[in-house]
Amino acid sequence: MSRFLPISYATRNLGRSRSRLALAVGGALLVSLLAMAGAGFAIGMDRALRASGLPGNVVLLGAGSEESVERSEISPANAGVIAASIPGIAVLDGRPLASPEVNVALTVVARDLPSAATSGERTGLVRGITPEAFLVHPQVRLVSGRAPEAGSGEVILGASAARGAGLDPAALARTLHDDGTGGPEVLVDTRTFRVVGTFNAPGTVMDGEAWMPLNDALVLTQRDTISAVIVTLEPGTSPSDVTDFAQRRIDLELSAIPEPAYYASQSAFYRPVRIMVLASAALVAAGALLGGLNTMYAAFASRIRELAMLQVLGFARRAVVASLLQESVISSLSGALVAVAVALFALDGIAIRFSMGTFGIRIDETVVAIGLAAGLVVGIAGCIMPAIRCLRLPLPAALKSD
Amino acid sequence: MNSLLRSVPITWKNLSRRTLRTTLTVAGIAVATFLFSFVESMRDGVRRATEAGAAETRLVVYRKNRFCPFTSKLPQSYERTIQDVPGVKSAVPVKIVVNNCRASLDVVTFRGVPDEGFMEDHLQGATLRSGSLADWKLRSDAVIVGSALADRRRLRAGDRFDAAGVRTLVAGVFESLDAQDQNVAYAHLGFLQETAQRGGTGGIVTQFNVEVTDPARLEEVAAAIDERLAHDQFPTTTRPESAFVARAARDVIALVRFAGIVGWASLAAVFALIANAIALAVRDRVRDHAILQTLGWTGMDIAWMVVLEAGMLGAAGGAIGALAAYGAIAFAKLNFTTEGVSIGVTSSATVTGIGILLATALGAVAGLAPAWTASRREIVQGFRTA
Repeated sequence: MSRFLPISYATRNLGRSRSRLALAVGGALLVSLLAMAGAGFAIGMDRALRASGLPGNVVLLGAGSEESVERSEISPANAGVIAASIPGIAVLDGRPLASPEVNVALTVVARDLPSAATSGERTGLVRGITPEAFLVHPQVRLVSGRAPEAGSGEVILGASAARGAGLDPAALARTLHDDGTGGPEVLVDTRTFRVVGTFNAPGTVMDGEAWMPLNDALVLTQRDTISAVIVTLEPGTSPSDVTDFAQRRIDLELSAIPEPAYYASQSAFYRPVRIMVLASAALVAAGALLGGLNTMYAAFASRIRELAMLQVLGFARRAVVASLLQESVISSLSGALVAVAVALFALDGIAIRFSMGTFGIRIDETVVAIGLAAGLVVGIAGCIMPAIRCLRLPLPAALKSD
Repeated sequence: MNSLLRSVPITWKNLSRRTLRTTLTVAGIAVATFLFSFVESMRDGVRRATEAGAAETRLVVYRKNRFCPFTSKLPQSYERTIQDVPGVKSAVPVKIVVNNCRASLDVVTFRGVPDEGFMEDHLQGATLRSGSLADWKLRSDAVIVGSALADRRRLRAGDRFDAAGVRTLVAGVFESLDAQDQNVAYAHLGFLQETAQRGGTGGIVTQFNVEVTDPARLEEVAAAIDERLAHDQFPTTTRPESAFVARAARDVIALVRFAGIVGWASLAAVFALIANAIALAVRDRVRDHAILQTLGWTGMDIAWMVVLEAGMLGAAGGAIGALAAYGAIAFAKLNFTTEGVSIGVTSSATVTGIGILLATALGAVAGLAPAWTASRREIVQGFRTA
């Protein structure tokens, strides 16, 4: 006979002990939430770096500095040579899409913050740019004010960079006028700059940057070299054309890396940190699972006689296991669903400033699937072994048990 | 005393009778204690690197408002200016090249130091695992590598080592207790300056390591150095080395601070696990306790037995977890590096001991409530409940 117990048997059993139900739901909630927090951080960091690189862009930086654009130094004259010499660079309104840039970590802090908050702890990434930067980085959208003008001591801030500097990006966007007036002053390094605009570049590292005119950045940092030139290629042009150029012109001491590959290497750099975060979350989840198993063993052990009775009534062992599985999975998935809701409302989009960058915790469909899968694993693993142990007893012995 | 000791064999039998429950509980406690010990080792590393000792004599002179070796550029000629500041014993120009300024666990740091004198003094407290200082002096591109970096990159004396755009030859590997040394490759200053300048003339360094004559005058000398260079083209910020590390590694410190919450949450998990397991055990043994009371055991004896069981679970799980963490940390040789500054995570007997003691104590405390319940139950009520 292959009869299965009705699902109502499982659901009604759930209400027999409220404390046990709360423990099962709470345990699954904890495991799912930890799994999502860990995965959300790892995926958020990885995606922020990967989304920062566009497939049609190539980064030209100093040979030997491939691991970090902040370390790179090349002659500003190279930007012109690159724009003129490399075939296949996209052109807009007669201007080649080649953006010379300076990338440097400096203090960026609102000038009117209390002195304790301006003690040099608010480090941000500053990018010196030309107007071409907006063309090669289309992820960046100016949301208020205007672009900064060279020689005027002006800067624009990404939303995360504004927060990092001690400013509220929403309030900043409201107070800024289209002509760039109304913005506060910020201290960048030792100099005062006026904020004339804010930009969004959601999900990319640029959201955590302050942008200023290239020449202002060179003067501020007392350097006569730029960090890199980013070029956008015509559709159909292979990045290898740029790589070949860099290898041919050894006098320029350049290295060319497709932008996605550059940011993939940055993501790989952080891999040990991500592994550590995931391992910690997995360990805490494993601890919670072991505690949950203990409870489930005790819960099922107290029902041995009831489970034996079901078999006497003609239900096969697999039918009993299926019913226990339903009970366990319903409670654990309930916990996982609550965890998903908590993660979506409380964790999604949280910006974490780490190591000169800002990364957002992302609770997307992959992370939600991981959370639900973790809850499902808790439900199945927490039920199968205790169920098998209880059903292993011969029927007469099980019926006589306490 | 006798009544306390007679509980031990019964408690042991109780634990071994329920192998599965005991195993699951001990495993859970071990996992939580592992995490706690790991996090505490990280915090220990931060403490050691950033806490100033009374005898601290070293200052670090860095370019003002710069936060990464790529951007801190000071003329080597400042060496004489710094030497002239009253209270300065010595000033060593250091060029630092890292493959990335950001924080991670696999950062390569080259430190360019003067050819003569510095390494002899610096390696006095260290031991050379392989190679020799003479080999380092013979070649301009030679490096002496700290043990953690050497192990991570599988380097031995005689190997070629290319990283951060710098091509070197490993002249030796040394062991040091200082986290800053474990994770660096010491190169010749001139070689690193030329490499960083891509064939230029060099003459630029990242920082000066300054020794002062009197530890009590550390802050005074630091202020004097900054004052003397304040109106120069490259103004400086001078800090005691521990403060310099604390500022550079602030991201790592923030990460470790957050991890501290995980550590304390792990201890809460230990408490919950033991409390749950003991509550289940006491519920199962109501009749056993009633029988023991019939045989003359007092309520206190029963309570002691329950607390002992909880403590034994905590001790066993704590010992497994803390010792596993000790072994894992010793094996992994983790070093967080950011802006050329390292924070080492090293295993320590103290942290291991604290982990075991806390797990045991928490176990005993977690057993108090069930013990109280068990000790208060009447014999008749115990038999009826069963």
